[in-house]
Amino acid sequence: MSGLFRKKNSLYLSDNQPLTVVGMIGLVVSYVILLSWVVAILWPLSQMIMSAFNGKQAQYLMSNRNFAFSWKHFQFLFSETLYLRWVLNTLFIAGSTAILTLLIVSFTGFAYSRFRFKGRKASLMAIMLIQTIPAFAGITAYFTMHSIIQNYAPWVTRQLMLILIYSGGGIAGNTFVLKGYIDSISTELDDAARIDGCSNMQVYRLIIMPIAKPMLAIIALWSFIGPFMDYMLPAILLNRPQDYTLASGLFTLMNDFRTMNQPAFAAGGLLTAVPIVALFMVLQKQLVSGLAKGAVKG
Amino acid sequence: MKVSLRNIGKKYEGREEFTLKDINLDIEDKDFCVILGPSGCGKTTLLRMIAGLNSITEGDLLFGEKRMNKVPSKDRDIAMVFQSYALYPHMTVYDNMAFSLAMRKEPKKLIHDRVMEAAEVLQIQEYLYSKPSDISGGQRQRVALGRAMVRKPAVFLMDEPLSNLDAKLREHMRVELVRLHKALGTTSIYVTHDQVEAMTMATKIVLMNEGVIQQAGIPDDFYNRPANIFVARFIGSPTMNIIHGSMDKGKFVAEHKLIKIKPSEADAKKLKDFEGKKVSVGIRPERFDSRGEYGDTFKAIVDTVEMLGKEKILYIKLENGSELVVSAPGHYEFKEGADHSFGFDLEAIHYFDSETGLRIN
Ligand SMILES: Nc1ncnc2c1ncn2[C@@H]1O[C@H](COP(=O)(O)OP(=O)(O)OP(=O)(O)O)[C@@H](O)[C@H]1O
Ligand SMILES: [Mg+2]
Repeated sequence: MSGLFRKKNSLYLSDNQPLTVVGMIGLVVSYVILLSWVVAILWPLSQMIMSAFNGKQAQYLMSNRNFAFSWKHFQFLFSETLYLRWVLNTLFIAGSTAILTLLIVSFTGFAYSRFRFKGRKASLMAIMLIQTIPAFAGITAYFTMHSIIQNYAPWVTRQLMLILIYSGGGIAGNTFVLKGYIDSISTELDDAARIDGCSNMQVYRLIIMPIAKPMLAIIALWSFIGPFMDYMLPAILLNRPQDYTLASGLFTLMNDFRTMNQPAFAAGGLLTAVPIVALFMVLQKQLVSGLAKGAVKG
Repeated sequence: MKVSLRNIGKKYEGREEFTLKDINLDIEDKDFCVILGPSGCGKTTLLRMIAGLNSITEGDLLFGEKRMNKVPSKDRDIAMVFQSYALYPHMTVYDNMAFSLAMRKEPKKLIHDRVMEAAEVLQIQEYLYSKPSDISGGQRQRVALGRAMVRKPAVFLMDEPLSNLDAKLREHMRVELVRLHKALGTTSIYVTHDQVEAMTMATKIVLMNEGVIQQAGIPDDFYNRPANIFVARFIGSPTMNIIHGSMDKGKFVAEHKLIKIKPSEADAKKLKDFEGKKVSVGIRPERFDSRGEYGDTFKAIVDTVEMLGKEKILYIKLENGSELVVSAPGHYEFKEGADHSFGFDLEAIHYFDSETGLRIN
């Protein structure tokens, strides 16, 4: 057989069938679509990057043919505004929200998936219904709640309030999502773990949690990104510039003509991506799912 | 460890009926007890109750002399092999096997020795560091066994562990399991719906149907002295022939009057009380006498012949069209469509009370 003498690197090793002509055309079409999509995303992004680094750009963001590389907008951001403060605020709020959401959703998701109790179905439905009301709708309630709470516990700042609102809003939907994911994990794994000597908490921590990691990573990422993206709640709830989050802080560079500096806004927006990208890289491995394969016969 | 069940009953939440009722059973130390029964009869339920994964609605479960009803699974000193193997997908084979010992805070050295010992017995050393998703079904099955073995439990529970393997591997693992049981001597409870597994592996069989134990005993009794018609028909392939009829002047007469049997002396004594009552006769296919040399013969047409090599399965039809199954040695000649006369081996006839289905002789 000639195959025996073929060189190693000329062997066709892919598990996919070799491409046909139609398949080839399909592939080209898909690439064209994907590329145009990439352009649609990258073009505005590149404009933003350009103006952030363009020293010839003043106050207003207009298409500007002159370009001179400079860090001046970044310098402005760090020296003339509370940018660093806003970053820290946002990281604090986003991080706390993510941790709080994960913690609570872990309990609720596991409980709803594994335990049978009175009112289980009803409360799950209620959760879903409540979820359809946007968190913003409760803004007046939050105000009253905050003023009442502050009478008794002055340490509950407006930022803490914001964290509670964000994580509270995320719990409902995420519970549902996580419950669905845990439902797909065979309960025989729980049984096996129990016989092996696990308590309920250990079953979750040692068996379910590692298997549900991809979903937990997504939930963490979502809850972390939320506070970066939200403008409304912090703008209304937070009243001192030094408490602002990035979104509400940066917006002051856009809407108030006294502090207006649009290129600095672009620069700030650019930097905002850094923590999110960092978290994404950390979670990347977890986000790749498929761990639950091979638990059972097949 | 001796396992005893006393009047155990189980009713699931939200169900009208009891799934299991009045289960009384003694499984002696070092027994290999096979719980056998058709699908849905409550075998898994019973096993999970012994494991402590399902609650016991009524009755007592004893390990030795100790009542275990309320003892949590992890304190029962049991290990279980699940129908789906239930290997932890995020752990390597080694960690899967070490998990239960690690949870009990055993020293690392002991854990390692135990895992290696089990891996050697089961021949899974090569993939100790693979994930369960990267090994074959048969290998996973052995890992599941290994995970149960390392604990050296007092009671070993298995729920249809061979049901997903191919025929050859299943046969092989059957022998392996028996060998393993002989070597370890652990009291084992094994659930299956496959009568061949039960007959070949068990030191004690428990046959269940609709939540009730039909018969419990050694495999031999199941074949030669079935306790009722259900057991008679469940065990044995091809299925035992059952002929309904009644006793008339000390003779069994079938409903269609085409078959008459004069019972042997010992059977006749037991059948005395049934004079004039409905009685069913059971006879295994291989206990017909195809040459018809004995007293009570009957005529039938050979309808279909299945050649299996060492034996032939004959589907014969009586005059009124009712069918019987006969097995004859493979070298006998039978022509399809030919008339033939058959007799019975009187020693091998089972008499059942038609009303209750219970064995008479
Ligand atoms: N969690 C449960 N809740 C309610 N009913 C159940 C539950 N588990 C099993 N049952 C019922 O109990 C009966 C016995 O089920 P079980 O799983 O013990 O059968 P089995 O003998 O193991 O069957 P198979 O051979 O198919 O595995 C069935 O009718 C089933 O519907
Ligand atoms: Mg079952």
